[in-house]
Amino acid sequence: MTSSYNIIGLWQAWLNSGNLLLSAIAVLIYAIGVMIVIAIFSYMFGWAERKIIAKIQHRHGPTYVGKYGILQNLADLIKLLSKENIVPSNANLRLMQLSVIFILSASTFLVLILPFAHSLQVANFGTGLLIVFVFISFMPLAVFVGGVSSGNKFGHISAQRSVLMLLSYELPMVLVVAAAAMLSGSFNIQQVVLTQASRGYFALLMPIGFVIFFIAMLAEFERPPFDIREADSELISGWLTDFSSPYYALVLFIDYTRMFLGSLLVAIIFLGGWSGPVLPGPVWLIFKATLVALFTIIIRATTVRMRIDRMLRLGWMWLLPLSLINLILTYIIFVA
Amino acid sequence: MEFGIRNGKVMVIMVTRINIGPVHPSTHGVLRLVADIEGDTVENVEAHIGMLHRGVEKLVETRKYLQSHPYMEKLDYVSPLAYDETYVSAVEAALGVDVKERAQYVRVIELELQRVASHLLFLGTMCNDIGQMFTMFMWTFEDRDMVLRLLEQATGERMFYVNMRLGGVNLDLPKDFEENCIAFINREEKRIREYEHYLESNPVFMERMKGVGILNRDDAVELGVTGPVLRASGVQYDVRKNNPYYVYDRLNFEMQTEHKGDNFARYKVRMLEIKESLRLIKNALRMIPEGDAIGMPVKLILPAAKNREVMVRREVPRGELMMYMIADPQSPYRLSIRSPNFVNLSALEYVARGCKTADLFAILGSLDMVMGCVDK
Amino acid sequence: MKIEREKLLEKLEQMKKDGYTYLVKITAVDYVKNFEVLYFVRDIEKNDDQVISVDLNPDDVWVPSVMEIFKAADWYERELYEMFGVSIKGRRIKKLLLEKWDGTSFPLRKSFAWNSEYETEK
Repeated sequence: MTSSYNIIGLWQAWLNSGNLLLSAIAVLIYAIGVMIVIAIFSYMFGWAERKIIAKIQHRHGPTYVGKYGILQNLADLIKLLSKENIVPSNANLRLMQLSVIFILSASTFLVLILPFAHSLQVANFGTGLLIVFVFISFMPLAVFVGGVSSGNKFGHISAQRSVLMLLSYELPMVLVVAAAAMLSGSFNIQQVVLTQASRGYFALLMPIGFVIFFIAMLAEFERPPFDIREADSELISGWLTDFSSPYYALVLFIDYTRMFLGSLLVAIIFLGGWSGPVLPGPVWLIFKATLVALFTIIIRATTVRMRIDRMLRLGWMWLLPLSLINLILTYIIFVA
Repeated sequence: MEFGIRNGKVMVIMVTRINIGPVHPSTHGVLRLVADIEGDTVENVEAHIGMLHRGVEKLVETRKYLQSHPYMEKLDYVSPLAYDETYVSAVEAALGVDVKERAQYVRVIELELQRVASHLLFLGTMCNDIGQMFTMFMWTFEDRDMVLRLLEQATGERMFYVNMRLGGVNLDLPKDFEENCIAFINREEKRIREYEHYLESNPVFMERMKGVGILNRDDAVELGVTGPVLRASGVQYDVRKNNPYYVYDRLNFEMQTEHKGDNFARYKVRMLEIKESLRLIKNALRMIPEGDAIGMPVKLILPAAKNREVMVRREVPRGELMMYMIADPQSPYRLSIRSPNFVNLSALEYVARGCKTADLFAILGSLDMVMGCVDK
Repeated sequence: MKIEREKLLEKLEQMKKDGYTYLVKITAVDYVKNFEVLYFVRDIEKNDDQVISVDLNPDDVWVPSVMEIFKAADWYERELYEMFGVSIKGRRIKKLLLEKWDGTSFPLRKSFAWNSEYETEK
């Protein structure tokens, strides 16, 4: 234990040394570590999703490659990478690539700036929460660009839906985050976690906000029942229809990365982040994020996809007023 | 982008013409749709069929009566037995052959099992089409597999039975069939109740189904839709009740109708029909007499046909199947098949106009067609 | 019930007024010497079915379109045109139903050599 804390201490010393080179090396090491965590989580999440859904559907799921089919996703990945990349003639390849790369880098960056423990964070921004949600709001636009530039009509429809969805859930989500910031008295993410350690989890303090945020997160990261953008049975794959081989593999990876980001956000803002007894902070955080992610798998296996106009109605008729009520109640009960 | 007039104002209308299928996750085979979509609303939809056209009607003319028997099963590969039976009945009517008493019961039992299997498949694919990816589908397939296993016991085949023979059936029901069948029915009744509970207590499901793709009574009659789609619009018509064949008039069952005519009504009618069919099978198993059920062996040369013009109508799972046959002595001169899927699909263009893109597929799913039978 | 081609529309309209609102099927039979087009109509309330048939001369094969009376006739008429070469007067058939056909020979007519392609290959 002590040795690991020493390493973190050394890392922190480098990070805060004021020497540009040393700080850059420290950030790089941290980023590589975070990428490894993301990769492991994505891989395990992909496998768990297949297995759990298979169990719910009375199937076996992957069984042949590796023990309990654990290497199946790796095999799929190799298969996808070894295939030819087919680009439709009227697609704009550069923009397509750019959209995917933007989403990937944005979500990775956001995971990077989230605190895994009190001392484990690259940069402790005073406006951390705002930065996170600014980047998240840009993701549907990247989806829009990807959908339109793929030159596929299903992609076009998907792109339109992407913007419509943005209208429906973005505002409630930000209002809930505002309530969380109000509770902790700061936009600093560390502060949000520390407040939860002293006052109790925000999920308990403002349950309405928690539910709204969870729904908005599902919508944001294209999880069922809000997988309207890439609705399999209608739009084939929506904006992803014309992505092939390595880019499709990348897109699948992005899906899981965003899932990880979403679960982390729920865990940090509402479930107390790294705080927990006995075990070290990062373990607690990843444990909580995993629980949230597993819950979304169960939702995926059991619900019907929503329709885009119903989604808008849900957003404006329910989520927005409720998030306002949540904000006001939070103010009256906890702040005033 | 084009300009058009909406509500008296000149506006820019973005209409996307979009090609759906024949390779698409939810076109149930090889249907191709060309839809004009404005934003997310379907302005117009046109069905292009014929990719599975095998010319069965022509093929039949060149064969002897019992040679073309298996072709009929390939028309609707989800409920082959019903088509098999209809064709054999047409030949029986042409030849003037009576069906044995026990064989009538056996046929009814097998037909109703087929109906249950077919409707279970509907439930699974319907849920797939509205975006419940594969959970319901796998569950209903599990149930359907049990029905197929029962039918395999009874006929010796799993998918394409060719079990009907002139005047009877190829294989009589095995000894332990009744026991297995009752066990299955008791289990299935519970399962169906469970499914209904799961689905109807899910608000998103109800939202996607209720008030979508409304086909009112007059339109339904006007468009000539049949079967569950017609009954879901509140029209009391079921060939089993209106023109009873075999022992249907002796068996106690109700015609199931709904009156709303939307997706939910179409789903509900089929669910009720599954329950009713299960009851009916139980009933028939109780009343089935002892005796001989085996029909005539398959021969190329049969006694010459007595009746020149024959019309047989049957309630198959997807609606009313009619076979109109002009009979030559040893082979059909002309066989005209009125396929229920064909009419139901032709209604799609009217029903889907003005719905949302997502609902287009829900409506397609609720019409429940099999392309093999549409294209013939 | 056999009727003249000229009286077909009138008769069907009359029948629809009498309650035969449901069109079951339109089909045709090629008897080589003559040509028969059949209309199956139904009164759902009274549970009564009627068949109306029109005899045609094989040199002059057309029937009037009944689309105005029964919407259900749409696809049946297209099928009739495509399979039997029965032209439908009063209606332009935009596209064939079973696309892949060239539209010059009519498969369900008795004169159609159904496996001629195969034979020429041999």
